[in-house]
Amino acid sequence: MSTIYPRRKATNGIMMALCVVAAVIGLAWLALILGALLYNGLAGVNIAVFTQMTPPPGEAGGLLNAIAGSLVITVIAVVIGTPIGIMAGTYMAEYGRFSKLTTVVRFINDILLSAPSIVVGLFVYELVVRPMGHFSAFAGAFALAVLVIPVVVRTTEDMLNLVPNALREAGTAIGAPRWIVIRSVAYRAALSGIVTGILLAIARISGETAPLLFTALNNQFWSSNLNAPMASLPVTIFQFALSPYEEWQQLAWTGALLITLTVLALSIIARSLTGRREDR
Amino acid sequence: MNNMVSLDKVAPQQTSEKAKIEIKNLNFYYGESKALKNITLSLPERSVTAFIGPSGCGKSTLLRVLNRIYELYPKQRAEGEVLVDGQNILDRNQDLNLLRTKVGMVFQKPTPFPMSIYENISFGIKLYETLSKSEMDERVEAALRRAALWNEVKDKLNASGLSLSGGQQQRLCIARTVAVKPEIILLDEPASALDPLSTAKIEELIDELRADYTIVIVTHNMQQAARVSRQTAFMYLGELVEFDETAKIFTSPREKRTQDYVTGRFG
Repeated sequence: MSTIYPRRKATNGIMMALCVVAAVIGLAWLALILGALLYNGLAGVNIAVFTQMTPPPGEAGGLLNAIAGSLVITVIAVVIGTPIGIMAGTYMAEYGRFSKLTTVVRFINDILLSAPSIVVGLFVYELVVRPMGHFSAFAGAFALAVLVIPVVVRTTEDMLNLVPNALREAGTAIGAPRWIVIRSVAYRAALSGIVTGILLAIARISGETAPLLFTALNNQFWSSNLNAPMASLPVTIFQFALSPYEEWQQLAWTGALLITLTVLALSIIARSLTGRREDR
Repeated sequence: MNNMVSLDKVAPQQTSEKAKIEIKNLNFYYGESKALKNITLSLPERSVTAFIGPSGCGKSTLLRVLNRIYELYPKQRAEGEVLVDGQNILDRNQDLNLLRTKVGMVFQKPTPFPMSIYENISFGIKLYETLSKSEMDERVEAALRRAALWNEVKDKLNASGLSLSGGQQQRLCIARTVAVKPEIILLDEPASALDPLSTAKIEELIDELRADYTIVIVTHNMQQAARVSRQTAFMYLGELVEFDETAKIFTSPREKRTQDYVTGRFG
């Protein structure tokens, strides 16, 4: 027991303290953001938020058209993006496990996964909005679908890769054709993980603003026309928060709170699904 | 049943029935490396044959050729002939799914499907037969009885197959294999992940099944080979060193390498 041991003990203490401080700083921001959201957002929560349209400046109103618009656009995006994502992930993990194409797709998918969403917005603007000549809910949904696909591809591939090969061999050994092994054995074994991926994709797109600015734009009124601009929560928040009107700013806070709670709920569901998987 | 076992071992010479599987000049490659070298071997019908040998000798590889499960992996290939009932299963026109309904396989680790006990059995049956609910119930029960599992699971057929113990899961896998009425059953170290009691049950089961099926078992455990099989093939470094009645292999092998292995001098 020379001087080395006390010194190491002291270093250990210092390092631990630094790590704890770093962790607390990280958490503190989150707590502050949530606190500010709850404080400012809850003040504006009332029945009107869910029953009235976004108001003109200086008047009272709600967020109904924005909430409905977000739901519609998100649902369409998920309906388009999920099957493509799951099938691509299935190709990569099952049929094309040993093929070159898989390596290429995985690489590109990883780029797409971290691509700035504003780039995707511009892409869809060029691809859909310009040829059509106007903004539309459909273009917005399409932009979000492009964001859904890489998330679903990645989780589907990862989750299918976690399914032990022995299980595939067992399915094959009983005389099941490849696609039945995938559908009835591999998908079942990976189900909770794949669903988690879809939920995370929804969580990701439900707060996206940039791609919608170029595509679905916004709409102050109720619209169920997919071929016309449609309101959405993120864009409404963006517009209202930047405005000088107090009523609008209040609605922006409330909208932000709604999105955050939705994402939180989705994350908790996703967590509990993966948790259940690990319990098994 | 058990009487028959001992009879066979006392008088192994009577086993000259027709061959169910004939392997001729079989070579097997994992990419560039050759894993089986010119194997020629004939396995009799309704009898248990054991493949023994040290790790990496090719015994599992040989087993995996018999239902062509290796086809799942693109770099693996077999050359030569494997005749099952006189038909070459390595033929390019061989339908793999039909081959696998005829040649069932049970793996080292229990692999119940992520579904209920009942569905684990009905899954394979449904692939090739359309049965009414009551017929299916009967088939499932018969398969579970055959695998000596019925009494343990009859009250929880809807429970997940994963909720069973390791030994029960393995018997579920055997039941699932038997349910599709194969003629040949391949067992790839079926008891190596199980405790001694479960192992004993699996071995008992093999004894009961051998009257109706041609069984091929790969095992690391020489006592197990001696207990359950009638013929034993000893393999070493991808070659078939010796194939004979199990009793002969373990008491008076022709080859020195076999002698050394079965007496525990290497491996």
